[in-house]
Amino acid sequence: MDFPAWMIESSSWIPGFHRAARWTRAPILVSLAKRMTELASLISRHGYIIVATIVFAESIGLPFPAALSLVTGGAAVAAHLLRAPILLPFALGAMLTGDTLLFFAGRRSGWRLLGFLCKVSANPETCILRSAESFYKRGKMTLVLAKFIPGVNTMGPPLAGSMRMHYGQFLRFDVMGATLYVLAYFTLGFLGRDFFKVIGNTFQTAGHAMGDVVIVGVVVYIGYRFWLMRKNRVYNVVPRVLVEEVVKKLASEEATRVLVVDVRSHGYYDPDAARIKGSIRIEPNNLDEEIKRLSKEKDVYLYCT
Amino acid sequence: MLRQKGFNAFILVGGLAAWRKAGQPLESVPREDLVKLPTFS
Repeated sequence: MDFPAWMIESSSWIPGFHRAARWTRAPILVSLAKRMTELASLISRHGYIIVATIVFAESIGLPFPAALSLVTGGAAVAAHLLRAPILLPFALGAMLTGDTLLFFAGRRSGWRLLGFLCKVSANPETCILRSAESFYKRGKMTLVLAKFIPGVNTMGPPLAGSMRMHYGQFLRFDVMGATLYVLAYFTLGFLGRDFFKVIGNTFQTAGHAMGDVVIVGVVVYIGYRFWLMRKNRVYNVVPRVLVEEVVKKLASEEATRVLVVDVRSHGYYDPDAARIKGSIRIEPNNLDEEIKRLSKEKDVYLYCT
Repeated sequence: MLRQKGFNAFILVGGLAAWRKAGQPLESVPREDLVKLPTFS
């Protein structure tokens, strides 16, 4: 593609952005302006391929700035460097290709993928069931909106695959989500040559208010952690025993008074799941009903993952 | 909750992972105990 050198070197077709960055001295804007410059230079040289590659990379979960490349692409279209009827299908196709790959990866890996993702959850025991139910209830809408939520955007397609959604149905909702995403950021870049100046203005005006919000947030967080600590003290009254002690009891005459109980939720979705030999399972989310099966004559040893 | 209801309950430190690490016997989860998660099909 042949573009004037001044456009490639200075990227001055996004002037508002640079002015805003310099004027506000906001590090985030300066950093964004630098990235926009690099991207603009690349997009000026290689155009559609660069935008499509970045969008594809992000859609398969790699840390690439798809939104930023679409904003830059939109600005390039506004400056007549690229053409929207070519750029938009390129970007959309790249996103749908990435999502399709993750969809089939999810279908192939089944629940192991969700199990892996739930390991970092605050409560891995119930994470799988809740995630599955939530996606089952809102899955279709999730596919449309999740693209705007960093971290969640790559979860939708593999979840849909692992939950055996029909590919045609998945594609329909994914096309809606991808179109919304691509158009939103493209339009932002197209219309927003001076958009970031406005953003910079807003940041400066709202700077003090943001400071207050951060302080209140920290106080609330500390309060929450304190409340959680007090709440968890209740659990400390339950005695803990080591594996060796239970093994010793099971090998002694007291074995008939020992009941080992599996209270996992997590781990019961995989057909290859294992548990302690001789243990029984109770569902922790339905404890009131489940304890009717337990004998008070026995010592109950609870375990999870 | 179990203790409140009169059960002599204990928690196994380290759970299944510690049991497995100690080389103690395991068994497969019975098929009827496996939880079926919702699917779209």
